[in-house]
Amino acid sequence: MRGARPRGEQEIQMAREFITEAENTWCQGCGNFGIMNAMKRAVGLLAERGVPRSHIAMTAGIGCHAKIFDYMALSGVYSLHGRAMATAQGMKLANPSLKVVAFCGDGDAFSEGVAHMMHAAKRNSDITVIVHDNGVYALTTGQRGPTSPRGFRGPSTPDGNNEDPWKPLVLMLEAGATFAARGYCGRVDQLAEIITGAVLHEGFSFVQVLQPSVTFTNRFEEYNRLVKPLEGGPVGFGEALALARQEEPLPAGIFYRSEKQPYEVSVNRGRNPVEDRMSREDRLGALAEILGR
Amino acid sequence: MTGSVGPQTGAAMGRRDIFTFIVGGRAGAGVKKSGATVSNLFSSMKRHVFQMDDYQSLIRGGHNFVATTTSVRRVTSHYMRADLLVALDARSVEVHRDHLAQGGVLVYNSDEVESDELPDGPETIGLPLHSLAKEHPDPELRLGLAGPAALAAVIGLSGEELGRLVETEYKRDLDANRSFAGAVYRAVSEKAGGRFELESGEAELPLLTGNEAIAMGACASGLDVYLAYPMTPASTILHFLAAHADELGVTTMQPESEIAVANLAIGAAAMGARTMVGTSGGGFALMEEAFSLAGMAEVPFLAALSSRPGPSTGVPTYTEQADLSFALNQGHGDFPRVVASPGSVEEGYRLAAELMSLVWELQVQGILLTEKHLSESRATVALDLEDAPDATPRLHDGGEYRRYAFTDDGVSPLVFPPSDELINWSSYEHDEMGMTTEDGFEITAMHDKRNRKLSTLTGRLKKMKTVNRYGDGGPVIATYGSTTLSVLEALRAGGIEATVVQPIYLRPFPVWDLEGLRESRPVVVEQSSTGQFATLLSDKLGVRPTAEIRKYDGRAFDPEDLAAELGDKIG
Repeated sequence: MRGARPRGEQEIQMAREFITEAENTWCQGCGNFGIMNAMKRAVGLLAERGVPRSHIAMTAGIGCHAKIFDYMALSGVYSLHGRAMATAQGMKLANPSLKVVAFCGDGDAFSEGVAHMMHAAKRNSDITVIVHDNGVYALTTGQRGPTSPRGFRGPSTPDGNNEDPWKPLVLMLEAGATFAARGYCGRVDQLAEIITGAVLHEGFSFVQVLQPSVTFTNRFEEYNRLVKPLEGGPVGFGEALALARQEEPLPAGIFYRSEKQPYEVSVNRGRNPVEDRMSREDRLGALAEILGR
Repeated sequence: MTGSVGPQTGAAMGRRDIFTFIVGGRAGAGVKKSGATVSNLFSSMKRHVFQMDDYQSLIRGGHNFVATTTSVRRVTSHYMRADLLVALDARSVEVHRDHLAQGGVLVYNSDEVESDELPDGPETIGLPLHSLAKEHPDPELRLGLAGPAALAAVIGLSGEELGRLVETEYKRDLDANRSFAGAVYRAVSEKAGGRFELESGEAELPLLTGNEAIAMGACASGLDVYLAYPMTPASTILHFLAAHADELGVTTMQPESEIAVANLAIGAAAMGARTMVGTSGGGFALMEEAFSLAGMAEVPFLAALSSRPGPSTGVPTYTEQADLSFALNQGHGDFPRVVASPGSVEEGYRLAAELMSLVWELQVQGILLTEKHLSESRATVALDLEDAPDATPRLHDGGEYRRYAFTDDGVSPLVFPPSDELINWSSYEHDEMGMTTEDGFEITAMHDKRNRKLSTLTGRLKKMKTVNRYGDGGPVIATYGSTTLSVLEALRAGGIEATVVQPIYLRPFPVWDLEGLRESRPVVVEQSSTGQFATLLSDKLGVRPTAEIRKYDGRAFDPEDLAAELGDKIG
């Protein structure tokens, strides 16, 4: 991992505290390590910016990516394949004082869970979704996924993938994401900054992380060559879409950011459901009034 | 109403202690409001009411009707034999030609119905309702007002009383409504004014539908979040809560699908929000994976499942009890769940609160099983709002925290974020910390923990009311859910002496409170073509029924028809 930036005391302590005792079963050199390290660093950065670890909750789907749930010492819900972004929205809905981060795989997010992704962006739910995009269903032994290129050979498509891939950022921008970014697991510092920005953003934040699978889709060399940091920060919507479609070079950074009321504010009508609970007396009183009408 | 003679025409009134009003017409003609207004009127006369809305899966046209039965004693079903039938269109005459009681009156729309289409026998009064309505804007919608106006005439309300009713219930376009209602009232009064005398009862009771009661019960126990995708006949829970969200402090949300509903519900509950979801068979099928997740992760999860005829899309706006075995076995894998079905609107209120309380106390998953007949029917209720326990989870009180800590009763104390503790809820098999495991000993230990919760749940139920019994002695009738309403009314209608045994809780099945049921060889009454309830009684208790009465045409039983069948079977 490229270091270079000096780290604060709090950050170092956080990194030490962060890993649980669970045995790590990611392949050596897996891109997921980069994402986890970036998240650890981001938690430290967030603490410096007033978001304590106690207020961060996570979810994960099912897949190699999702093991991050066991490895990272953050509270949360280990969800179902394709459903972590729905779980995350429920968590945020119940206690909007929390920052909620959903870790998803590319198949998780854009196959099984694509409706939840689109609607989370559409309603501008104040969650952060980080997609570990390795273009394959690694944990189930290598089938093609929604971001796999045409021709990709896997056990369910031995003659080569017969579909064209989606570009996740294009979909998310069109669906209404108010924060859209791409990171690369090989550039941990930048990814940590992106994740920090995503979590701090009030509204739906989408981060596509290029994450080669050393076992199935080892594109490290290709990405090292193609991925270039985005100069100058977020751009307008049209330009962001163009960047999202670009294949060479592959820009990394925050493409787009806009401000819009997060969904939870309007649907909760300004309340925090778990903190602002009505007393039993008030509830029964309200029911009596409704009954009396 | 026994044996006295009506002032206008000398026709004898029926000997029954009930009065039934049926109004039928196209969707869009104000039929639903017509029936509801009549129910409100009966209730304001301190009478008991049971109102059944029959509607099709469309928005305009087709055929709708409302059957409202009233009495001074408790009445738990509509009757399909009207003392007053108001037919707003020709199809209503056709559909309801056999639905008139002895001495019943048919008021029909003579603009649409030819006299040769009328049934022989009943007294008929034709009014040119369209012509009358056309003098005012929205004539089609105004037709429904003919129902309450005709009703006011035949029960001898004064013109002023009718006027007050119209002012209360038909406020919009009041002058036009007064004029139309007045014309109908006068025309019907000439022929059948005061034909039926309805005495006042003792107390004015509020009217509620089953769904409203369920929504209110959940609120009483502390509902924070309600999530649902529209699906008949559960949608009105969503509508009620959305309309009262601020007053009741409930966040009400309609996400993109039932799968989203169920998964959002799990996220919300894991953060400490008391949550409920509502749907029908097909929607609950979509929630199956999440239900199993709730079981593994031990997330308190409560679903209101209101059935319609199935399988699949089935008959969306009608009623059936064929989701019983589905509800009992929802979700793959071994985990304890609680399933209960209310036998009255009041019970819908109490059970919603009770189930919410149980799922939060024990971190189990619950299903409140009902059907369209209870969900969408409207009845006068004697409701004790306090009869609703609070939903209170067991909380961690210090020391080392492990989300799935082993305990004697299987229930681990909870902590909700924000917290410095590490709180992991998981869909994978896990250890006490919530970490994924594949270890044989840990898998066994966690399975045992969840199964201990089943024992704990059963122990709780043994201290609660899990079975209703009505009557004392005589032959035994076993039933559950909304069919209970029909059975009880059938016994009244037929003057039948019998004991009705109604299990409220269906899983865990209260075998301890049903001793003797096998020996009694009950008649089993249900709305499932394969007899799912009888199968459950057989599986759990070895019951061999004397007879089974199954109705599965999408309609609830008519009490008099059911009484005749019961009479046959009981002998």
